[in-house]
Amino acid sequence: MGEEILLDVRGLTHLFPLTKKTAVRAVDGVSFQLRRGEIFGLVGESGSGKSTVARCVMNIYRPSGGQVFYKGIDTCDPRAFRINRRMLQSTRQIIFQDSSSSLNQRMKVCDIIAEPMRIQHVVPPRGSLRAEAAFQMRYVGLDASYLDKYPPELSGGQRQRVAIARALAMEPELLVADEPIASLDVSIQAQIVNLFKHLQREHGFTFLFIAHDLAMVEFLCDRVGVMYRGRLVELAPTAELYTNPQHPYTRALLSAIPIPDPRRERERRLVPFREEDFPLEGELTEVGPRHFVLHERRRDA
Amino acid sequence: MNERFALVGIRPQIPAELSCSKKWYTGKPVAAAVLLGIIVLGCLLGGVIAPGDPGYMDLENCGVGPCRAFLFGTDTMGRDIFAMIWHGGRASLFIGLASAALSTAIAILFGAVSGCAPGWLDGLLMRLTEILLSIPSLLAVVLLQAVLGEASALTISLVIGLTGWTGMAKIVRAEVRQLRSSEYVIAARCMGGGFFHILWRHLTPNFVSSIMFMAVMNVRNAIAAESTLSFMGIGLPLDVVSWGGMLSLSEKALLTKAWWIILIPGAFLVVTLLCITSLGDYLRKNVNRKESNL
Repeated sequence: MGEEILLDVRGLTHLFPLTKKTAVRAVDGVSFQLRRGEIFGLVGESGSGKSTVARCVMNIYRPSGGQVFYKGIDTCDPRAFRINRRMLQSTRQIIFQDSSSSLNQRMKVCDIIAEPMRIQHVVPPRGSLRAEAAFQMRYVGLDASYLDKYPPELSGGQRQRVAIARALAMEPELLVADEPIASLDVSIQAQIVNLFKHLQREHGFTFLFIAHDLAMVEFLCDRVGVMYRGRLVELAPTAELYTNPQHPYTRALLSAIPIPDPRRERERRLVPFREEDFPLEGELTEVGPRHFVLHERRRDA
Repeated sequence: MNERFALVGIRPQIPAELSCSKKWYTGKPVAAAVLLGIIVLGCLLGGVIAPGDPGYMDLENCGVGPCRAFLFGTDTMGRDIFAMIWHGGRASLFIGLASAALSTAIAILFGAVSGCAPGWLDGLLMRLTEILLSIPSLLAVVLLQAVLGEASALTISLVIGLTGWTGMAKIVRAEVRQLRSSEYVIAARCMGGGFFHILWRHLTPNFVSSIMFMAVMNVRNAIAAESTLSFMGIGLPLDVVSWGGMLSLSEKALLTKAWWIILIPGAFLVVTLLCITSLGDYLRKNVNRKESNL
């Protein structure tokens, strides 16, 4: 893991307008940084704004406030984006949660995997686009006989592998995975997470991994950020976060992880969490080495 | 005991021979396809079937009924109807296909632009379509034809194609609006795919089934529109033979007893239109079934 900062999110805020006067604050002042080659996990309950962060990072949504710097380029600035469009579009890739809707049902697997190369007019290093697709498929553990199949003919895990192969075809430097394992069953989840781990070691890409499965995040990620109602409430290296959670929401979240041992599982106690326990206003303050927690502002003053 | 209880949840036994006796042609418009094939082939091979100039006026044989020399008889000017049918079909079918292709292309482009555009532009484009839709198409065709001047097969197809795309554009727009927020389109945009890449690779393959029926119906409508125009005398010039033009010449034949002059081109026209309709109907049903099977 280098010290170069690849992705720098500063005060990211995104509002979804409901009516002319009201809006939902999906993401509210989120800041974090990703170093090159790092696996960063973003966890939180449904509706906490994880996916919105991912989509803002990928320029799918235009954030209402804040900045996203990628390699020092402000990607939210239309001019800077236009100048670096090709670089941004080929070195950042996204994987979606539902592989059945993120792959076009009317395209063959080989066309799906070769699509980014076709769009960017990349000269395939292995001869033809088809050979390139076959190579990427072997890479993610799929047989080349699936090349001419259509997505509905594949299983969920195979489809997700196709989506991963498509993302990796451009040799990305930043890979954003928006809950890539949430729609798979448990054994396939383990396969895919292991695949991610291997691929990351091979390619060395920086990985923003969004999930709500805390056990998977602990296994895969170097650092973890916890989101709650659009705010980043705690940010720490994985081992530190799982052994020494500071924020009450993180504690409640971690206490909800099931333990694969019936006797200990019965003794597990849920830490109750009430919203009134802490206000959402505040700032991230460092409580340990690289361990940040959201604190009330008046406590700082 | 068993008679008193109806068993539910058991897979009903389908007799094996019932599914086997289903032939490949059940539910397929075989007759329509064969008839249409014969007519299209006959038109393409018009020169072989009926050699000679279809416009040649044999003044010695005016208004002769169907006989051995003239299979379908001759018209009041002594032209062989058999030859005219095959040569005139070419013009009719060309106009049908060309104008349907033109209107489908316009509809896809217009609908996709409108579907991908922000709200205000979408509203504007759709109101524009509705205004065009509200003009009676025959009136629009006559108006455009007057502007374009001298009619030929090309200008007629252009005029009919330019007026026939509105309904299809609305369908395309509705489909695109639904498809554009699907994740594979978002993913393609993230990769840097342009508008035409997304339209051609992602949107068109997904909505083509729902406009297939309309595209086929457009062919039919264009052939019918050309016949109407020619019948009214504002279509193709008299020296260009088409089915509609043949019908327009036959109005006087109604007064005499020359039934073959009006009935034969009319029958060819109606049979062609019915065949196309039946094919379009089959396509529509097939698409619906395929989607429900997913």
